[in-house]
Amino acid sequence: MDRRMFIRCMGCGAVAAAIPQTDLLPEFLGGLQNACAFDYTKQLSSVEARHYKKLETGGIECRLCPRRCMVTDLERGYCGVRENRGDVYYTLVYGRPCALNIDPIEKKPFFHFYPGTTALSLATAGCNVNCKFCQNWEISQSRPEQTDNLDLPPGTLVDICKQRAIPTLAYTYSEPVIFYEYMYDIAKQGHEKGVKSVIITGGYIEKEPLADLLPQLDAVKVDLKAIRETYYKDVVGGELQPVLDRLIQIKQSGVWLEIVYLVVPTLNDTDAEFRELAQWVKTYLGKDTPVHFSRFHPQYLLKNLPPTPQATLESAYNISRAEGLDFVYLGNLPGHPAESTYCPKCSRVLIERRGYRISRQNLTGNRCNNCQTEIPGLF
Amino acid sequence: MSKVVVVKYYRDARGSGLTRDEYRRLMSVGLHRLTGESDMQKAVRKLIPPGVIGMKTNCLTGKLNSTPVALIDALGDCLDEAGVDDNDMVVWERTSRELAGAGYTLNASGSSRRCLGTDANRIGYSQGFYSSGEVNSLVSRILTDLVDHNINVPVLKDHSIAGLSAGMKNMYGAINNPNKYHGDNCNPFCAHVSALEPVRAKNRLTVIDAVRVQYNGGPGFMSQFLTYYNGVIISDDPAAADRVGLQVLENLRKANGQPPLEKVGRPVKYLVAAGQLGLGEVELSRIEVDVVVVDEDGRPTAGELF
Repeated sequence: MDRRMFIRCMGCGAVAAAIPQTDLLPEFLGGLQNACAFDYTKQLSSVEARHYKKLETGGIECRLCPRRCMVTDLERGYCGVRENRGDVYYTLVYGRPCALNIDPIEKKPFFHFYPGTTALSLATAGCNVNCKFCQNWEISQSRPEQTDNLDLPPGTLVDICKQRAIPTLAYTYSEPVIFYEYMYDIAKQGHEKGVKSVIITGGYIEKEPLADLLPQLDAVKVDLKAIRETYYKDVVGGELQPVLDRLIQIKQSGVWLEIVYLVVPTLNDTDAEFRELAQWVKTYLGKDTPVHFSRFHPQYLLKNLPPTPQATLESAYNISRAEGLDFVYLGNLPGHPAESTYCPKCSRVLIERRGYRISRQNLTGNRCNNCQTEIPGLF
Repeated sequence: MSKVVVVKYYRDARGSGLTRDEYRRLMSVGLHRLTGESDMQKAVRKLIPPGVIGMKTNCLTGKLNSTPVALIDALGDCLDEAGVDDNDMVVWERTSRELAGAGYTLNASGSSRRCLGTDANRIGYSQGFYSSGEVNSLVSRILTDLVDHNINVPVLKDHSIAGLSAGMKNMYGAINNPNKYHGDNCNPFCAHVSALEPVRAKNRLTVIDAVRVQYNGGPGFMSQFLTYYNGVIISDDPAAADRVGLQVLENLRKANGQPPLEKVGRPVKYLVAAGQLGLGEVELSRIEVDVVVVDEDGRPTAGELF
C-alpha cells in the first residue's frame, strides 16, 4: 500500500458521521496534500506515560483515572492503550490518531464556544469506561493494534490548523483522557501558535492530571451520563462521584464548561433524575452552565432499546428550565426550537440553529442585541 | 469423570528446554493415554473431528517463556501422523508480532501450515459481538471463520492478577478487549471468555506446556522465579486441565518458598465460575489424573504429580 498521502478520515464539516468511514479519502485534504504527508503506521508509540507510580512490590499503579489500574509487566491498563514494560509505563497512542475530521464546533456540542466555527477533531483507540450505548465503540473499545492509525505528531496537527485557518483542536470521539500525553502536548503547542483546544470527555479523570491539563484547554464538554451511581456501575462501567468532583473542579478553574446528558429510555430518563440533575448543576456549577439533553439511538450493546421519545427530551427540558437553568438544549432533534439559544432575560432568540448550522445570530460580542444582557461563554 | 494426563520427561529440561522430538514423545504418550487409543489417527479423531485445526499459542513474553515452537511442531507431527493435512493446521495468536517474537515463522498463505496473528491482513475480529455473562467481545476471525476446531496450547505460569495463567486465561488472546476483563482476579471474566460460543464450541483439546514454569511474578518474564517441571498437561476438559495446572503451580510455589496464591490475594476464583458454567470439572477429587514419566525412547512409566 502506498503509505503517503493516504488519510483514512479527513472529513469536512458537512460529513455527519462522528466516526470517519474508511472510504473517506484524501479529497477533503485540499491544499494540505502538498503541505503535509499523512502516513499510516503499524508502529505503536513508546512514549513514557505521565501520572503513574512504580510499586515497591513490582508493577505500577496508573494514576490518570480513578480506576487506578495496577498493571504488571507486559500488561495494559483497562483503557488498553497504556502498557507496562519493565515497570515503565508507556502510552502506545502518542501521535497515533485513528480518527480525524474537521467538524462544526456545534457537533461536539459546544453552543457557547465560538459558534459557527470549526474544530480539527481527533481521537485514538481506547477508553477508560465501557458505555453500553457508545456510538464510537469501534474505536473506543479497541486496542490500538486494532485500528488504522496515522503518524501525526502534535506539531503537524497544529500546522494543519494554522494552514487551514481552523481555530480549534477538539479531542473527542473516544475518551481523550486515555491519550492524555498526546492531547496535552498538542494543546500546549497549539496555544503557543494561537490555536485553541477543547476536550469532549466523560470526566473520569483524577484530580491532579486534570489540574495539570486545564491550563492548556479553552473549553471542556463533559458527558455526565447519569446522576445515579447505579447507572455508572451498570451501564457505564465507571463511577459517578469522581465525575461530579471533576465538574466542580473544571467550573472553579474558569475554563468554559458545557454538559451533555444522553437520555437513554428506561435507564436514566425519569423526571426525578432530570430534576436531581438540574438541581445539582444549579447548586454546584451555576444556572448559566449549558446542559444539552441528547437523544439516544440504539447501538452497541443497547440495540434492544428504542430511540428516546421526543416527549421525554422535552420533559427534561421543561424540568431543567423550571429548576432555573438558563441554557438548556435538546440534541439529535434537528429543527427543534430547543436547539437554539435564547436570552435568559428577554427570551429573544440569540442564536438560531438547525442541526449544526446557524441560521441567525442576534448577539453582538457576548451581549443580546435586544436587551444587552451578557451571555456566558466565548463568542 | 474428566481425565487429565500429565506427561513428564525423565530428564531435567534445564538449559536448552525440550526438543521437538522430546516433545513428540510426550505428546504421543499423552494422546494415547488420554484416549485409550494406541493408533495416533484414532486417538486424534477421538478428540478432534475432521476439519481445520487451530493451535492457539501464548506468546506474550517473546522467546523467554512462550509456547515453544518445538511443542507446536511436535503437535503438528502428531496431527500429521493422524492424517491431518498441513493446510488444515493454523498456528495462531493475537498478533503476528508476538508469534514472530517467540520464534515462529509467519505464514499467512494457504499453502502448508499457516501461522498468523489476528492482525494479519483480512483477518481481524468478528463483525458482531459474542456475549457470555459479563463479557461482550469481538472474537478473532481465526477462531470464528478460519478453523473448525481449536487446540489451546498455553504456558503454565503465575499471573499477578488472575493467579493462574493456563488454558482459560490464554483465550483472552482471542478477543478484542481483554483489558476490560482483569478486575477482581479476572473473575468471572476468565470463565465467561471461555464460555463465549466460538471458544467453547471449538475447543477440543488443551495442551499446557509445563516444562519451564514461572511460579511467581507472571505473566511478564522474571528469570528468578523460573523453575522446571518438565511436563505437559493434556486434557479434552479445559477446566480440568487448568485445575490440575493450578495444583502443579501451587506445588511449585510451595517448593520454592512462595505462599499459596490465596494468601497473596490471588485466589483463582474463575475456576469456580467455570465449574458453575459447566465448562468442565474443577473438583480435583473428580478428575482422573494420570501421571506418567517418559524416557528418551518414549517408554512411559507411572509417575507422581509432584
